[in-house]
Amino acid sequence: MGENWLVERFIFWIPLVLSLSVHEWAHAASAKWLGDDTAERLGRLSLNPLDHIDPIGTLILPLLGVPFGWAKPVPINPLRFRKDVGMNTGLWLTAAAGPASNLLLALFIAGFVGIAASISPGLLPDVAMPVVTTFIVLNVLLAFFNLLPIPPLDGSRVVDAIIPDSFRPAWDAFAPYSAFVLIGLIFLPRMSGLDLFAWPQQWAMQLVHLARG
Amino acid sequence: MKKLNTAFVWALLLVLVMFFAWNRQSDNPAVPFAQFLADVAEEKVAGIVTDGKTLTVTTRQGELYTTRGVLDAAIFEKLSEQGVVVNYETSALTGWISFLIPVVLLLAFLVYFLRKSQAKTTNILSLRRSPHREISEADSQVTFADVGGCENAKEELGDVIDFLKAPQRWLDAGVRLPRGVLLEGPPGCGKTLLARAVAGETNAKFFLVSGSEFVEMFVGVGAARVRDLFETAVKKAPSVVFIDELDAVGRRRGSGIGSSHDEREQTLNQLLVCLDGFKRNDRVVVLAATNRPDVLDTALVRPGRIDRRIRVPELNEAARVEVLKIQTRGKPIDSVDLQEIARLAAGFSGARLENLCNEAALLAVRRSKREANSVRITREDFVRAMGTDLGQDQRFNKLDSLLIESATQLAEPTGTARVRLSLLDGTTVQGDVVWADAAFLKIRNSNGDPDLVVAKRQVQQLEVLPGTDAAALDELQVDRWAMRSSETV
Repeated sequence: MGENWLVERFIFWIPLVLSLSVHEWAHAASAKWLGDDTAERLGRLSLNPLDHIDPIGTLILPLLGVPFGWAKPVPINPLRFRKDVGMNTGLWLTAAAGPASNLLLALFIAGFVGIAASISPGLLPDVAMPVVTTFIVLNVLLAFFNLLPIPPLDGSRVVDAIIPDSFRPAWDAFAPYSAFVLIGLIFLPRMSGLDLFAWPQQWAMQLVHLARG
Repeated sequence: MKKLNTAFVWALLLVLVMFFAWNRQSDNPAVPFAQFLADVAEEKVAGIVTDGKTLTVTTRQGELYTTRGVLDAAIFEKLSEQGVVVNYETSALTGWISFLIPVVLLLAFLVYFLRKSQAKTTNILSLRRSPHREISEADSQVTFADVGGCENAKEELGDVIDFLKAPQRWLDAGVRLPRGVLLEGPPGCGKTLLARAVAGETNAKFFLVSGSEFVEMFVGVGAARVRDLFETAVKKAPSVVFIDELDAVGRRRGSGIGSSHDEREQTLNQLLVCLDGFKRNDRVVVLAATNRPDVLDTALVRPGRIDRRIRVPELNEAARVEVLKIQTRGKPIDSVDLQEIARLAAGFSGARLENLCNEAALLAVRRSKREANSVRITREDFVRAMGTDLGQDQRFNKLDSLLIESATQLAEPTGTARVRLSLLDGTTVQGDVVWADAAFLKIRNSNGDPDLVVAKRQVQQLEVLPGTDAAALDELQVDRWAMRSSETV
């Protein structure tokens, strides 16, 4: 492939940037919906990738081929939620909104492809398929990965907000080591073949096949 | 940099990703290298294009496919036996585009973010760099011809310029030219302009810095900046270092509340050391300007440092004429006697004269707009501009109406005083004086118009008409103001 490796990276990277934008936008939008306009005032209630890009996490690492990345986190201020929204409720709702948006985006694209395929098989050119597939798989993986209950992922915030008090000491004890766990999870598949992401990936591929009919 | 529109970014990225996908798709089908070897063995291959790693193979059936592998000697021999054409080249167009676009994009993004982050943070090390601006001969539009008056200063500075241009004659004569020249004089008399003219006249490098730019919040920064400035100046000699508002750093040490100002004094100490530091042939001259020479530290102005003091005095009439000539250069002047204007503008500094000419031109443009003819600057424009400069408002204001209301007609003339007033706004009022006080005149017009109150400061010229009683004339002339006005302003 030679010079094509960068092309391959970009076919992966552009959907990643767009999906991350949707993800961060969902955090900001849900917070706004619950009454917290912190993110909006910082200009993060936006689908524009330029508002969310983190130079290292979104640009350099993914383009260098490191299999993960991040965008600038959207700040949430629970004190600004509406009065009828509990602080914990608001926190896990806003945290879950990001992954949920990715899942919805994947389903939406799959549905779109499905409809296009059912109208006419030639409506969606074959050229677009790798991109669409990347979009769907990437979004499913993003949703799954972010819902892992490991700080600082979104899943941990959900857990943080709804965990019963009796489990809290154990949870707090785990938090300081979460970074190692996270790095382990990301690199374990390469070393051991035990791929945590294989299942959502398969599920996403099934979704793609289902969509194409 | 203006942020790109969301829809535009999405469209751009989506188009790009489709382009990449299409680019990849358009590649010929890849087959295993073994398949290629088999094809070679079966003599199916017609031609090969290779870049060393990837082979693009044309079969005798006219099919195209790619494969990855290296043509070793054995295969190559076999191929040449079969008469297969092997071309070594990179697949020009798509190869380059698919390679360049990502790289360019990546660089663009990197540059964008670098700029963004640079704008945010001030590097602590950059504080130590001198804040001077370097002015080259070409940048400076000002020469001595643009400086009116200051003949003395020009002559002395001419020596300095000559020293920088051709030092040999001066060195041969054993002349030690001043290391530093201090231009002192009241504000607006052309100290900075002279310095800029030096920049325009000499071919030496010209470093412009203001005294206040050295001193920073942190002690030591100012000294570091002075060092940096002089290092640069010596490196690029011959050069002129111009320190404007020298009193900002050169203030006498140990003065002021609390008796010390560490940062400023350290900056000054460094400046003193640097002034001593040039060797005799360094050809670096320090020009400094201040309007407070009295507060300067004595060590700064001792011989060997900034020892030549050039006074840039207030302009005399001849100098004012010259300045006016320079300032009206290129302006559509309507045969104005500049000599007269210069006489009227007694005590005006150069900056004020410049302002005067600008104001006159502005008024002329305004007038030409009203009268819909071409712009000519007349004597009246200058006179009115001078009124503006002196803070004379030609309109009535609230205070005026108050004063008129309370005016007590104290100065009712004993007889008829018939006058014609030319006002600064260009109109003329003619009639009898009803009353006059310190600030106003009430004029009654003969043809039945309502009485008119005129402020004396609106009046440009007062003309006594025939029909005025001798007693009233006396009164008008006793009034000092009226005396002055009865001359041609």
